[in-house]
Amino acid sequence: MLVDDDLDDTSLFEEVLQQVDPAVVFASAANGHEALAALREGTTRPDVIFLDLNMPRMDGRQCLAALKEDDTLKQIPVIMYTTSSQPKDVEQAMQKGAVSFITKPTSLKELQEILEAIAGNVHLDLHAALKTLRQTVPACVIC
Amino acid sequence: MILIVDDKQENLYSLKALLRLNLYEVDTATSGEEALKRILRNEYELIILDVQMPGMDGYEVAETITGYSRSKDIPIIFLSAVNIDKRFVTKGYASGGVDYITKPFDADILLLKVKTFTRLYRQTKELNDIKETLEQKVEERTKALVQANKELELSNAELQQYAFIASHDLQEPLRKIITFSRLVIERFLGGDPEALQYMNKVISSSERMRSLINDLLSYSHLAEPPRFNICNLNQLVQETMADLEVAIKEKEAVLHISHLPSIEAIPDQMRQLFQNLVSNALKFAKKDTPPVIKIWSELIDQRSLTAGISGKGAWCRIYISDNGIGFNEMYLDKIFHMFQRLHGKDEYHGTGIGLTIVKKIIQKHNGLISAESREGQGATFMLVLPLKQTAILETETQGL
Repeated sequence: MLVDDDLDDTSLFEEVLQQVDPAVVFASAANGHEALAALREGTTRPDVIFLDLNMPRMDGRQCLAALKEDDTLKQIPVIMYTTSSQPKDVEQAMQKGAVSFITKPTSLKELQEILEAIAGNVHLDLHAALKTLRQTVPACVIC
Repeated sequence: MILIVDDKQENLYSLKALLRLNLYEVDTATSGEEALKRILRNEYELIILDVQMPGMDGYEVAETITGYSRSKDIPIIFLSAVNIDKRFVTKGYASGGVDYITKPFDADILLLKVKTFTRLYRQTKELNDIKETLEQKVEERTKALVQANKELELSNAELQQYAFIASHDLQEPLRKIITFSRLVIERFLGGDPEALQYMNKVISSSERMRSLINDLLSYSHLAEPPRFNICNLNQLVQETMADLEVAIKEKEAVLHISHLPSIEAIPDQMRQLFQNLVSNALKFAKKDTPPVIKIWSELIDQRSLTAGISGKGAWCRIYISDNGIGFNEMYLDKIFHMFQRLHGKDEYHGTGIGLTIVKKIIQKHNGLISAESREGQGATFMLVLPLKQTAILETETQGL
């Protein structure tokens, strides 16, 4: 699942994801409220959530906090996926329980590498996948 | 105006005549009670007070007068024909009199005393007025300063917030420009070298703007309140060098890092400081010579760029030297100013903010920075930093 208010980013993300693994089921939400509503209704149960920081109504920080406070949702790994690369944002997100902080890449090739590393490994070993990601993609700030 | 207090009309009359003759304004009272009423209503420069009166006597009147804040500074001369014994004189002074004259008195001497005491009273009053005005002015100015300070703090905070939001929000569209330009290149520009060249220009300009925004963002972060921690500079510099690994390898640079002290500092800012200085040394290397960068330090006992080494000093002086292209020292002030560049953008990349950030970090750590260089002969940056921030704050407050 991608939670992002930017429709360009969402459609590029989906496009690359389908190339990487056509079997993946993709869901998106335009802000924290929408994401939480969909997750609580049970219309979607993602293996991993990519969460943007800067969104209207409920931003990524609030959404992350709400996810981690919800007993039925806190198991789902959350990867921050945002334009920011500020140490303060990274530190804050990691403290609040995100598993990684990825700065949105500026090329499809990088995005593809990120999604390849993660898509195949969500069930196996997400942390190991994120670790190897750091060596290949400079966009991955901390894993 | 002078007030004469006496229960005997004939005494009042003669004294009043004497003073009027000498151009003094005179008022009279025939009892202590009446005198007090008059003092409450009028302003007197001197009171001549009889000691023995029915009702309140002179001492009681004097004590009451000196008890009022309004009248406490009016000089009182006692005048007595009966109580001339030393103990009465002493009592007169104790009750607030400035002089004690016994009858019969010499008119000339009395006039001289009147003249002296009224003059003294006027001068004291003038001084008090000046003092009051000054105090009032000081208070007004202090108020104005406090207000101005408040406004300044507010606008400063707003400015920081503004810089942060502006920088943050500028990132988004820029990233999209880059992403979609790359997409266009990948999908549509396969066989057109000219179009490819133009698109690459779009991307490199956008990348440059991105680093500008990132640097501005870092700079605006520097204004936050500091959190000092003990920082092992050896470890911190090693970590920073690991981040610069790619650039170091690319330039085939050689680094010599001698033992550095542990100091009380803001770790993130220290990391940024060394990163910026070493990046600069790498960036401004000579085209044909691999960079040799040395970092070393010494202890000194004062905040000085030139003080001699002192083994137990409370300050450290850190040097970062390179063998690069250097600069003319006439530009020394300029290099620490924002957006000042000594070279064309095509010659050396950079945003012109790096050294400004370094300087700001040094300021936040109560330190000093300078550099020595000659064109073509490398550059050496010198930083002076306190080992402990708390000690510095204490000595500074003592100095005040």
